[in-house]
Amino acid sequence: MYDFTTLVQSIGNFLHGQFSPGVATALEWTLVILVYLALYAILGLVLVYVERRVCAFFQLRLGPNRVGWAGTAQTVADALKLLLKEPVTVNKADKLLYNLAPFIITLAALTVISLVPFAKGLQAFDINIGLLFIVAVSSLGVVGILLAGWSSNNKYALIGAMRSGAQIVSYELSVGLSLLTMVLLTGTLQLSTIIETQANGWWIFKGHVPAIIAFFLYLTASIAEINRGPFDLPEAESELTAGFHTEYSGLKFAFFFLAEFVNMFTVAAIATTVFLGGWMPFHLGDWAGFNAVMDFVPPILWFFLKVSAVIFLMMWFKWTFPRLRIDQLLKLEWKYLMPLNLMNLVFTAILVYLGWHG
Amino acid sequence: MGTEAIIVFFIAAVVLVGGGMIASKLLAPTSTNPQKLEPYECGIPTQGPTHVQFKVGYYLFAILFLLFDVEMIFLVPWAVVMKNIGLTGLISAIIFILILGLGLLYAWKKKALIWE
Amino acid sequence: MEKIIFYILSAVILSLSLMSVLSRKLLRSAVYLFGVLTAIAGFYFLIGYHFLGAVQLTVYAGGIVVLIIFSILLTHDIDHQMPTPDWSRVAVAGALCVAGAVMFVQLLQGSLFSRVEAPEQSDLNTVGNTLLNPGGGGYLLPFEVVSILLLAVMIGAIVIAKQRHSVDDSSPEKQAP
Repeated sequence: MYDFTTLVQSIGNFLHGQFSPGVATALEWTLVILVYLALYAILGLVLVYVERRVCAFFQLRLGPNRVGWAGTAQTVADALKLLLKEPVTVNKADKLLYNLAPFIITLAALTVISLVPFAKGLQAFDINIGLLFIVAVSSLGVVGILLAGWSSNNKYALIGAMRSGAQIVSYELSVGLSLLTMVLLTGTLQLSTIIETQANGWWIFKGHVPAIIAFFLYLTASIAEINRGPFDLPEAESELTAGFHTEYSGLKFAFFFLAEFVNMFTVAAIATTVFLGGWMPFHLGDWAGFNAVMDFVPPILWFFLKVSAVIFLMMWFKWTFPRLRIDQLLKLEWKYLMPLNLMNLVFTAILVYLGWHG
Repeated sequence: MGTEAIIVFFIAAVVLVGGGMIASKLLAPTSTNPQKLEPYECGIPTQGPTHVQFKVGYYLFAILFLLFDVEMIFLVPWAVVMKNIGLTGLISAIIFILILGLGLLYAWKKKALIWE
Repeated sequence: MEKIIFYILSAVILSLSLMSVLSRKLLRSAVYLFGVLTAIAGFYFLIGYHFLGAVQLTVYAGGIVVLIIFSILLTHDIDHQMPTPDWSRVAVAGALCVAGAVMFVQLLQGSLFSRVEAPEQSDLNTVGNTLLNPGGGGYLLPFEVVSILLLAVMIGAIVIAKQRHSVDDSSPEKQAP
């Protein structure tokens, strides 16, 4: 088995052996900050590129293919361009709130990826209430969006932010309830333990029908929660230009964009962790040979493979379904997803009581 | 890492956004122009105040969200211990969910879930 | 270390609460309140009550604040800035505040606080088992009563909001979509 616990511990021990405790802790923190900021930026750049290529694939176009090998340097060039653009603050904007909004959104997006378990022992923050913490912190992002829309002194931005707020808070419930359904099966909220419970099979396989229902409920609700198509009506270009970040330019706009794509990764990572076994390799019953081959693939690769599959599914959704109207959107949540979620929760509880879970 | 990770990631976010803002302020060119500072409303001069009164529907959905959010929070400890708690846990949670389901049904019948 | 964090959080909470009360703009007050509520969650995480901290973030910082912002946008005159009160009112209010603070400090110093050992780490299993225990020491009945309370709140909110909506119908052109 590949285990990163010893590696991480030896780095910590090395630092603590070389320096005084205060300096060692500071170095440790700096290291974590650097690694996660790099991860945050790279995730954003890669996902924007992938999104554009996948979109082009679905629309029978080529997509970006000039800058760098097959267009891979395109997003880096875009990021540099955004850095060099003038930050314009609109007339009568509430400057304090206008500048505060990117902080809140980035804080929410960045803190959530600290909980993602990439492999055994490769997780920055393994809190015992993991899943609840994720729900809690991602619910803070909506405040940033509302502030961005309000402070911009722009009608499109304000309407976009209000719609976004109503949408995010509604769908947050379905996200929470579908994860709660899985907590019934796992019996814990800690992400590392949730993965341990899947050593003998992923929850989507051993959780019977409720797990499959919960998976699709989670995916639908969280796509809506992060404002991605087909639920991207806060930024419906044809009606509201760019929604709540219409008046943001340059790097400030880039922070919203980055947070959006990183949130997409987080959603896929949580789906992977809770439903698809996290970094656990794929095993088939008693096929010892097959299982041994699967074990050979490093867990971090497994993790990213599964995450990529879920992300591809989300992009497929986006470029296949037409955008919903706001009344249809709220109807979908409150009249379909919510009752279904509550019923699924009760059904799973009965199943767990009868002991039919894996 | 323990709970101090929250502080670490708070610092990380502040460093990222604050550093980015400072960098773009230093690197980016600036030129002032009164037209540039107008709100972007597709080229038409903006009409009337921006911060108009919004309709009550937003408030209604927000309060419904809050109530179900509290319900979800109450169900979290139940979901964690459901495996060991047996029949009493199951029945009490089902009653809990049913009562709130009644609330959802009431909202549905009163047409509070319709966006007008 | 913990002491430093405690004092930083306390300073943040105190100053943001003051700013929230003293701000002349409605929405800014709400934003300062958001900061206060988030910092209180920081306290819970500091003493190891992770569940309570997450609840504080979800319900207060992510829920109540959104509700407050939505209700601010419901008001007629949103951009309204409170007029600066004249000095006599400021003086009276200031004097009352100082008197209240002095009384509060006196009360605090006069009362005997028993020193409590650091509480055990809160475990969700303990919380769940206690919450759903029908026997002595359990909180099953309050748990069920909470659902009835939530139901009552929901019905009340719908009745009030729906009533208000019919009044608002008279001037629909003033409302944004």
